[in-house]
Amino acid sequence: MNHTLTFTHDDKQASVTVPTNTLLADAARLAGIDIAQPCGGQGRCGRCAVQVTEGQVRRRSTLRLSPSDVEQGYALACQTVVEGDAAVYVPPQEKIERRLTTDRVVAEVTVPDDYEYPFSQTVRRVHLTLTPPSMDDQTDDWARLQTAFRLQHRFEAVTCSLPLLRTIGSTLRAGDWNVTAIIETSRLSDHQTIRLIDLLPGHEDEYSPLWGAAIDIGTTTVTLWLVDLVTGQVKAQVAEYNGQIARGEDVISRIIYASKNGGGDELRQRVLETINELLERACKRVKLPQGKVTPDQIVKATIAGNTTMMHLFLGIPAASIRLSPFIPAVNHPPALTARDVGLNINPEAAVDCLPGVASYVGADITAGVLASGLDSAENVTLFLDVGTNGETVLGNRDWLVTCACSAGPAFEGAGVVNGMRATTGAIEEVWINSDTLEPTYRVIGGGKPKGICGSGLIALLSEAFITGVIDKGGNVKLDAPSPRVREGAHGGEYVVAWGRETESGEDIVLTRVDIDNLLRAKAAIYAGFTVLAENVGIPLESVDKVLVGGSFGKYINVEKAVQIGLLPDMEWSRFEFLGNTSVKGAYLALLDWRKRERITEIAKRMTYIELSADNSFYEAFTSALFLPHTDLSKFPSVAEVLEKS
Amino acid sequence: MPIEIPKDKWLGSIRTVTIGATSAEGGTRAKTVTVGGGTTMPYLHFKAPTPNKPAIAIEIKSRKPTDWSPLLAEVWGEAMADPAQWAKKAEEAGADLIVLALTVEDSPEDAVKAVKSVLGATGLPLIVWGPGQAEKDNELLVPVSEATKGEKLVLGICEDKNYRTIVATAMANGHLVQARAPMDVNLSKQLNILISDMGMPKDRILMDPTTGALGYGMEYGYSVMERLRLAALQGDAMTQFPMIVTPGFEAWKTKEAKVGEGVPEAWGDWKARAVNWETLTALALVESGADILVLRHPESVKRVKDTIEELITA
Repeated sequence: MNHTLTFTHDDKQASVTVPTNTLLADAARLAGIDIAQPCGGQGRCGRCAVQVTEGQVRRRSTLRLSPSDVEQGYALACQTVVEGDAAVYVPPQEKIERRLTTDRVVAEVTVPDDYEYPFSQTVRRVHLTLTPPSMDDQTDDWARLQTAFRLQHRFEAVTCSLPLLRTIGSTLRAGDWNVTAIIETSRLSDHQTIRLIDLLPGHEDEYSPLWGAAIDIGTTTVTLWLVDLVTGQVKAQVAEYNGQIARGEDVISRIIYASKNGGGDELRQRVLETINELLERACKRVKLPQGKVTPDQIVKATIAGNTTMMHLFLGIPAASIRLSPFIPAVNHPPALTARDVGLNINPEAAVDCLPGVASYVGADITAGVLASGLDSAENVTLFLDVGTNGETVLGNRDWLVTCACSAGPAFEGAGVVNGMRATTGAIEEVWINSDTLEPTYRVIGGGKPKGICGSGLIALLSEAFITGVIDKGGNVKLDAPSPRVREGAHGGEYVVAWGRETESGEDIVLTRVDIDNLLRAKAAIYAGFTVLAENVGIPLESVDKVLVGGSFGKYINVEKAVQIGLLPDMEWSRFEFLGNTSVKGAYLALLDWRKRERITEIAKRMTYIELSADNSFYEAFTSALFLPHTDLSKFPSVAEVLEKS
Repeated sequence: MPIEIPKDKWLGSIRTVTIGATSAEGGTRAKTVTVGGGTTMPYLHFKAPTPNKPAIAIEIKSRKPTDWSPLLAEVWGEAMADPAQWAKKAEEAGADLIVLALTVEDSPEDAVKAVKSVLGATGLPLIVWGPGQAEKDNELLVPVSEATKGEKLVLGICEDKNYRTIVATAMANGHLVQARAPMDVNLSKQLNILISDMGMPKDRILMDPTTGALGYGMEYGYSVMERLRLAALQGDAMTQFPMIVTPGFEAWKTKEAKVGEGVPEAWGDWKARAVNWETLTALALVESGADILVLRHPESVKRVKDTIEELITA
């Protein structure tokens, strides 16, 4: 029996008559409309979604479509057959992509509703008008300034550093006894203490930007947000690989390097260089009518980072972190200034290093917990930081347990031949056609690819696995029928982009060594949270929500992260992607002293579980060192996909 | 009042695997060797009988080995220079199977010739090992596999980084494979999955969990084997393969077996010590569920066989 199908695409209509059970994709082709099928028509990618506006069709599969999509008439063109006359709308490709990703895109940073400058902020700008000295009033400059603080702002105890003290006389006179003070208030005890950060001549606009920086020192990536403390808005976000990578990829090798003669100092200089460059870069990004922003205008910096990074940044010997009983020199550094630590910002700027829990659970995680809201969650929630140290936190508002496992930098694009950070030019999504083994990929910024970032690597590994380019052990099947599968310098490899398509002119490949690094990274993370959950007797199925943090760029594809066995096999709706939670936590603490205090509370509440205490982690690790896992029954959705392909 | 001994109810059992093919089955072997089939932990006769007793293989090489203990050279003598002669003597020494280990010096033609000569000299089923370097293994085992189609040899040794070529040729020519993983339950299981995923029938896989000699990690290997067996009995299909272990290779590389001079006097007689080392290593592995034991010294073969007999009839 024949049916008439009417397609609408690009504001044009085309009709075609086809027999019952014709695929919509085939019918569209007859009508002259080519619907992209990156996955080779297997119903895996969802890119061929069309909207059936009228008539009868039968959907063989609705994988990747939500019930509400189906209700709206969406159907996969490669999986849906004609059963009667129908009208079909073929949406433009970009629209499909947006529809597929919106639910997982990390939201733009919004200023918290409860942020209120200056009440939430510890750093603020105040105006002072002093009585000029005369023969009748011979009070000294410093006492005169203190008096103005007391009379005009009720600030009793104001302190000031010697270098700043040397300049106040000239500043007071330059401003003709009208000055703007930038001060920090702290609440260490009952009485408030005030520290003078800067004194500027004249009365600066009280609500003009006051600059702060939230910094996450990752083992692999350093991220910095430049923030206007008055409005709370993030004005620039920059990131760069940590300059210490050249001296070891993981914290242990960094600690060993730091223990060598002069090593600690070198590592400190390297990370300072990275941060100082990022400060310059972030400032250049900001364009204001009042003129340029320069790093020396930054008056407060809040730092998050794992315990080792914090030690190395502060130049504190870190050797005890890797030696039993694994005790750091400091979990909660005291209040410091930029002069103390060597940041190229205002030397008097407040530098606030957030508190950590233990040697292997640092301030990046306490900040991450705050940012994720895990500490106020009602139901049991799992928080995964998919970074070099693979920290995991499980809990809710009543209890929090945490562990760390060394995952390595693969998901941040380091330690992978063509890996890169999630910036312009990174391949962030890949599909492989299961018949031809030809890939389709998407590049951040849309230009020529330069490399592959974390989300791209996850997608690539999953696609290579599902389409049979590699076996479950990660071995490249050299007998696969494609010129893209070949023997390379490091064993088997798969060519994602030929030299003619890439920025550098060199092929972009995924090598056997890369695959091994990715497998180890995902196995460590999976083993970490499974063992943690086992330790507290919580079955993974009863975890209400899985919050995923990490430097992945916009999002990672849940389906693919499950297919490689990085994330547990549960409904996609239970996952939430938060991006870099460490810098977000630092940002919240930078803004609001109440949030800052909550991080201290979180650090006190967290119970640390040492994974090396028994064999269970290693056991879980080796069983996860497989695609998706040695025990396929833990991944029913993946078993189903494998069955089909 | 009679006491009823409680019996475990296991969901799974070890697969039965037959090595070698007689002329009626398309090969030239005088007999075949069947192993596996266990339905409980080893030798618990009050729970279930042991359907197939462990088999003993003697390891010979395609060329006279230069690094073997003089004690082994003493007992095998001139036969070591000729694999056919050596195989015959091994059969006389009581072997149920022969392991022929090829060497890196062998060309593909040499390898085929050595395998054929051993098949001609004895009627025992044969296990053929490559020299243990991925490329060379593949280069030698493929022609051997093709030249012996239908003999139901065991080809090895497959490891996770190099198994596809060996498995493919074994499948095409009706042989079996030996799958070795480094003393880890998960890694053993993973390799078995990879090999099964290629389409290899499950009754043509032997797993080699890797073992250490007495004093050199044997207890670790022992517990891995025990756990593999437990997993198999609990119904894990990817651990239900008979186990082949190499106590001869492991024991004879220890200082205690290899060296006769410059060792403490308290170590006692060299020959007795060396044979004891191999025998004790092998017997511990028998207890932990080994199905095929690859040995080197005829005296160890005799003692291990005697002990197995006692275990079976006890």
